Amino acid sequence: MHPAAPCCLDEISIMANRYLGDSFLLPALEPDNRHWFTNGQLHVQFCNSCDAARYPAEDVCFRCQSTDLEFRAIAGEGVIESVVEVQHPVHPLLADRVPYNVAVISLSGAPGCNAIGNIVNSDETDVSIGQNVRAIFEKATDPESGEELLIPNWEAV
Amino acid sequence: MNGNAVVVGIGESEYYKRGGAQETEFQLAVKAISRAAEDAGLELSEIDGLVSYMDNRNDPLRLSAALGMKELRWAMTPWAGGGNNSAAAIQCADAAVSGGYASYVVAFRALAQGQFSRFGSHFSGMTNAAGPHAWTHTYGLISPAQECALHTKRFMHDYGITQEALCDISMACYANAQRNPRAVRYGSPLTREKYHDSRWIVEPFHLYDCCPENDGAAAVIITTPDRARDLKGEAVPILATAQGIGPNIGIDSFQGRWFPGMFYEGVAETIWQRAGIRATDVDVLQMYENFTGPVMMSLCELGYCEPGELQDFVANGALEGPDARLPFNTSGGNIGEAYIHGFEMINEAVRQVRGESTCQVDKVDLSFAVGGPGYAPGSAVLFGRD
Ligand SMILES: [Zn+2]
Repeated sequence: MHPAAPCCLDEISIMANRYLGDSFLLPALEPDNRHWFTNGQLHVQFCNSCDAARYPAEDVCFRCQSTDLEFRAIAGEGVIESVVEVQHPVHPLLADRVPYNVAVISLSGAPGCNAIGNIVNSDETDVSIGQNVRAIFEKATDPESGEELLIPNWEAV
Repeated sequence: MNGNAVVVGIGESEYYKRGGAQETEFQLAVKAISRAAEDAGLELSEIDGLVSYMDNRNDPLRLSAALGMKELRWAMTPWAGGGNNSAAAIQCADAAVSGGYASYVVAFRALAQGQFSRFGSHFSGMTNAAGPHAWTHTYGLISPAQECALHTKRFMHDYGITQEALCDISMACYANAQRNPRAVRYGSPLTREKYHDSRWIVEPFHLYDCCPENDGAAAVIITTPDRARDLKGEAVPILATAQGIGPNIGIDSFQGRWFPGMFYEGVAETIWQRAGIRATDVDVLQMYENFTGPVMMSLCELGYCEPGELQDFVANGALEGPDARLPFNTSGGNIGEAYIHGFEMINEAVRQVRGESTCQVDKVDLSFAVGGPGYAPGSAVLFGRD
């Protein structure tokens, strides 16, 4: 169940500041999300018995009920399946960040798996359904452990 | 058709804007239940079952004491589903009396959003994105409006649907609320201009695409046809109910199998099969509109029209008033009457069969109420004449 060690860390795109602000909510790290938020590379859970991909991870394969599951690295590429502009801030930390976008991204190499993310560094015309995007990672520090986070986000290709 | 259980009483508190109720939420619950019992002609002490749904704060033991119930034989809520389970609550009560486990079961909803908070609005104090929220809150995807907007945007994109379709749905709710003195939006009509001029919440939802927050309570009393014969309330048969499969709230709802959609295909298959009818046979529809967008998708999934026909299906007042092509949310719904997590629509669906609506449709044999949509499991209930 352990993700492969991150490779090519020097080649990934990293943002020093977060799209929604450095003080915005950070993910609480757990065994099933640590790989996503710290590796600097995208990992998705696959079933070793039937190859079904599942995002986010689950304890049992939805297709064959196998528990022989592992995280596999996928290319940091995807397509915008939907994207909206949020104008009403529902959290105080977002009050001066609106409007911001939120998108559904289909993950290349993981059929049926869609992640949520923001489209950063992109022209308004690129923030649209069907646009190809690639992963970019926001650097942050986990307040509990002091661990470095690399939070996947997306920019237009 | 079933018809093994009937609604024999309906009741509600007054409906208020958020924070407008002087009573506590619990007092609102007792008021709605008491009025339902009075409508039925039933002593409160004879009630022996209580059903509500997700995040119900009005504990059945506290309620049974306050109502002076002699016995509590059936107390339950359906799993998960939020307001999607307004109709599933009717199913649970139906199961209880049809199975002989209880005799007079109350299904109810009470909420005072001025005293608590609306579904999913408890996020302003969050300091991290924990558990399943890590996948969404980290990226600023937090509220139900935002989640439903992502589904809606893709659906509109795929079928070339414009903003006017959302406007049409909201305007139908507002127009019908103008006939209903109980409605919080009574006396506040909506125009197309006012709709388009209103601020965006999350594109494509304007302010008027979103149901407001309200205080109030609604309740029904469900029993068997035999017992109902001895009561004064006009019995309305429950012809069919259904719950349906779907993904969990949040990140799961965006995965390939489910996106975009409102997860009503299963509910549709079950309820039309049980009832032996099609969607288009229904005389009047009450459909939970947390937001207008989910209504569009649910209409298609339930079999009213194809997605490519949706824009025309809702246009030109097709949903407005008692003579509409599809009479829809005749009390004003969540948007116009009050957001009692869809339970006010259960009462309205019963009223339509009784001929007591303020927007009464002619000759109602089949009156349909849909819980949700947007959060699985969805549910629906068909009332009518046997
Ligand atoms: Zn498998």
